[in-house]
Amino acid sequence: MKLVQTRGFKTLVEGLWANNPTFRMMLGICSTLAVTNSVRNSLAMSIAVVFVITLSSLTVSLMRNIIPRRVRMAVYTLIIATYVIFVDQYLRAYFPDISEQIGPYVGLIITNCIVMGRCESFASGNNLWLSVLDAVGVGVGYAISLLFIAVIREVLGFGTILGYQVLWDSWEGWVIMVMSPGAFIVLGVFIWILRAIAKPQMTKSM
Amino acid sequence: MIAILRKILTKTGTTIEKSPFKKLLKPGFDAADSLFFGRPDVTSGFPHSRDYIDIKRFFITVVIALFPCSVASIYFFGWRALAVIATSYVFGLAAEMVFAIVRKEEVTEGAFVTCMIFPLILPPTIPLWMVALGIVFGIVFGKEVFGGTGKNIFNPAMVGRIFIAVTFPSTMTTQWLDPIEGAIGGFASYTVDAVTSATPLIKYYGTGEMAGYKELFFGNVSGSLGETSKLLIIISGIFLMATRVGNWRIPTAYLGSVVIFSFIMNLFSPGMFAPPLFQLLTGGLLFGAIFMATDPVSAAITDTGKGVYGILLGILTVLIRELTGYVEGVMFAIIFMNIFAPLIDEIVILLRYKKIK
Repeated sequence: MKLVQTRGFKTLVEGLWANNPTFRMMLGICSTLAVTNSVRNSLAMSIAVVFVITLSSLTVSLMRNIIPRRVRMAVYTLIIATYVIFVDQYLRAYFPDISEQIGPYVGLIITNCIVMGRCESFASGNNLWLSVLDAVGVGVGYAISLLFIAVIREVLGFGTILGYQVLWDSWEGWVIMVMSPGAFIVLGVFIWILRAIAKPQMTKSM
Repeated sequence: MIAILRKILTKTGTTIEKSPFKKLLKPGFDAADSLFFGRPDVTSGFPHSRDYIDIKRFFITVVIALFPCSVASIYFFGWRALAVIATSYVFGLAAEMVFAIVRKEEVTEGAFVTCMIFPLILPPTIPLWMVALGIVFGIVFGKEVFGGTGKNIFNPAMVGRIFIAVTFPSTMTTQWLDPIEGAIGGFASYTVDAVTSATPLIKYYGTGEMAGYKELFFGNVSGSLGETSKLLIIISGIFLMATRVGNWRIPTAYLGSVVIFSFIMNLFSPGMFAPPLFQLLTGGLLFGAIFMATDPVSAAITDTGKGVYGILLGILTVLIRELTGYVEGVMFAIIFMNIFAPLIDEIVILLRYKKIK
């Protein structure tokens, strides 16, 4: 008996690795740099993005046959904006401190190329089930990268994870990791390492 | 200068040939000879090479020029300075080695210079692990990620220092030592007994108090390890320029523009801008101008470009010193101008030459 991966599984996994938004497609870099200064902020951002990307892909996939081709971008933007406003209001109501810190970047999910990219390139041409799997895969791929960078930055910057002390007390915080240069450095190293690992696969697929 | 050096070496060579300790001394002499001059072989066809200069001799000359400053750092701040330099070498060369092995290239002498300069621009109290971190960061992110020696945009030692300065601001700005007093100075002790004081520059901007010019000149002030004695830096600088390893245009333009610019600004607002001589003798200005701004890889290449580069460096240094929270403007000025060096060259070439149609 020969086993082949199902289309759905392949779609899901592709988002995590081969189509990972951060280090493969280089999308959503702006928000990655901005919110990864603490794990808590990254967690909120990750959940927000997974939520928005999944529901927008779902909606776009449902409406794909009735959206006129010429105005599709505008329609996608409206759909995405609806969910983003929902998330933004929710954060403001229940997590005012997080909203204070990453508020502008939540609003900017509307223009995040990851979300728009999935709607345009995948959800508009595939059925509901596959679109959702694809969106979840890419969203989680983004979330993992985000959390990975955030953990490194928070541990080096404050010696903590989610506010809990993980390093010894005398740990002197690396100020640079809290500031934006730290984000650039860690993101750069992250992309460097992962692309080095993925290099053989990339050359094969190209 | 090179000729004098050659003469000395030849003379020593003949003495060694005659002396009874020939076997003992010969290897050391040969090493010194090849270090400075490479192989004496002359090319048989065109083009004739009149003198043998390559990356190796180039960088080794700089290391030798840095030698007085490193000895002075031990004299002023104790043997711990040597430990700092050793740490820098061990970790810097290890980082260089890893990349050389992965890329299957040779370890170049550029790393020797970087590892020598980096400890000299650090405060004497710096913990050794920070030295290690800084030099590894400088070598990897200042040089190797761009492709290695000769391809770096920024001066690697400066990248390392900025990383440490931004990451650990309190260590880099508040913990200084007064140099050890006495004739034998720091040669008798490991470190200074924690006399924490501000550098002359910090003091000036804090209280307006000026250190004496004599102390500043001979190096009897607090400051980074290798930059305190201006006298030794000037001697090393003259040695570098005489051997033509160090470029004279950049330091001249740099220091000149600092003097002129701070003189003009001092006339207008004496409270805000320090007088020219004080600017020259404090902080890392001389060290930076002679050893770091002249880095042949990251500085401008064209002669006019070098002048422009130096002048802009000077203005930037004074502005950063006087108008920002960072009292030491040399560090940021050099890194900042490194970015623009290729652009300056490009503009110079564009203005001076045109394509033949």
